[in-house]
Amino acid sequence: MIVLNSVSKRYPNGARPALSNVTATVGAGEFVFLVGPSGSGKSTLLRLLLREERPSGGRVVVAGLDVARIPDRRVPRLRRAVGCVFQDFRLLPNRTVAANVAFALDVVGRPRHVVRSVVPEALNLVGLGDRAASYPDELSGGEQQRVAIARAFVGRPRVLLADEPTGNLDPATSLEIMGLLDTVHRAGTTVVMATHNAALVDAMRHRVLELREGILVRDEPEGRYDQTQPQLVPLTAPPSAVPVQATPPARERSPWAAPSRGPAA
Amino acid sequence: MGGALARTGRLMRPGPLASLLWTGLRRNLAMTAAVIVTVTLSLAMLGAGLLLRAQVHTIDQYLLGQLEVVVDLTDDITPAQRSALEDEMRRDPAVVSVRYESKQHVFDRFRHDFRGSPDVLAGVGPDDLPAALRLTLADPRQSRDVVVGYTGLDGVEAVRDQRALLDPLYRFLDAFTIGAFTLAAVQALASFALIYTMIRISAHGRRRETAIMKLVGASNGTIRAPFMLESAVAGLVGGLLAGGALVAAKVFLVDGEFSRQTAFPLFGWPAVWQSAAAVVAAGVLAAAAMASIALRRHLRV
Repeated sequence: MIVLNSVSKRYPNGARPALSNVTATVGAGEFVFLVGPSGSGKSTLLRLLLREERPSGGRVVVAGLDVARIPDRRVPRLRRAVGCVFQDFRLLPNRTVAANVAFALDVVGRPRHVVRSVVPEALNLVGLGDRAASYPDELSGGEQQRVAIARAFVGRPRVLLADEPTGNLDPATSLEIMGLLDTVHRAGTTVVMATHNAALVDAMRHRVLELREGILVRDEPEGRYDQTQPQLVPLTAPPSAVPVQATPPARERSPWAAPSRGPAA
Repeated sequence: MGGALARTGRLMRPGPLASLLWTGLRRNLAMTAAVIVTVTLSLAMLGAGLLLRAQVHTIDQYLLGQLEVVVDLTDDITPAQRSALEDEMRRDPAVVSVRYESKQHVFDRFRHDFRGSPDVLAGVGPDDLPAALRLTLADPRQSRDVVVGYTGLDGVEAVRDQRALLDPLYRFLDAFTIGAFTLAAVQALASFALIYTMIRISAHGRRRETAIMKLVGASNGTIRAPFMLESAVAGLVGGLLAGGALVAAKVFLVDGEFSRQTAFPLFGWPAVWQSAAAVVAAGVLAAAAMASIALRRHLRV
């Protein structure tokens, strides 16, 4: 679903490349955590996937589209295949919850009967079916992020990108949001989530990609936030030396990951 | 899902688009009003210019059929010279018809024209007036070449252009037409400056919306449409107001005042409707085009 082939990104005034020589493949229906300290290139990577930036070198393929090479007029098509969730929710304050979700469908010209049936479904999925008429500032942060997830998911994208979706939320609420993203994942969506939340990563045990200073230093299935065996790879190692795996504990079903809410579709 | 991928560049339904447009107009009310005022002034000037041109045309239609170029012949002209002259005129593409008037004929006409002034008639006999060739031109406004071309030929005493008598009137109308178009252009520049600013403010006020539209894959056309429509609506309102001003000018100024003060025919309602339609169309199209230029600068998609 996502292919990164020797991807580099150099900003005009950057001292060092934001990304250098990153190679990774994310299959359809995978859940991937993208971890690394601030400034390690996580956001740049997500921006490349959305074609908000173009790579300086290498190839980026998302949902079968060669992201750097498609003409500008096909970019909307790429973005319809990719949903996005952000730390700061990015809801429209003058629209109700339902209108915020409907907006994503309206502006891509979906017919009214589709909007009318799909929006309540999406709100029920995120557990906000009864808040459809509220405005974003009447909701808690967690609820606002649920609306943002509903908006990202309502167009049924093949990929969902989440850039620190729990960055503004308390631990309990973060768990709820995590559960929701898991639901979206289990509906068949490929999810890439950039995060600093070690507890979530450790609890979910999904695949982990770690970036440091623009270099992919770890690609570990069912990984933890911190490297399972410390200092397996020196920080300066080329990415090819990386994939040494720890044997993870058998994956257990997180109680919050399989919520009874909503159809898993 | 595959269906969603296959669709590119679908535009919004009218309902949600209208709602975006309406919130934009409401948020920008003062700015939109300013745009409407300048657009109205500009278009009213444009319309006034068009009506002045219609007036010139009306006078032309009324008079041109009657305007002739008169070539006075010398008394000593030989029949051979005259027929050579007439042949040349008949070959001239600018000349539609040539009519010979003998001295007697000219005298009869003179007597008829001045029948009310016996003292003028008293001193003039049939021999005092020259025989003439009267030319009807294909386009009486292009008489200069004809006048220059036949002046000084053998047997020609003088060439007189009747239209020259109307020159002051035409110069007056032309000056007002140019003045109106110039004012329209200046106002159009002011309108552009305002629309440019309106788009900038509007793009800033809507940056969250446009960011989300980009993110969820709205086409560039969809993202730009509310801005273009906002400007086009201002252009439409300005056009309608200017068109209304033209109709009012026709009713109160032209029909109410001028028609009682002049013998010349004045332009009719078809000219008003044509100018009004042109003004409305120009308003909508120019405002949308100006918005599109401003969007290039203020809205990166």
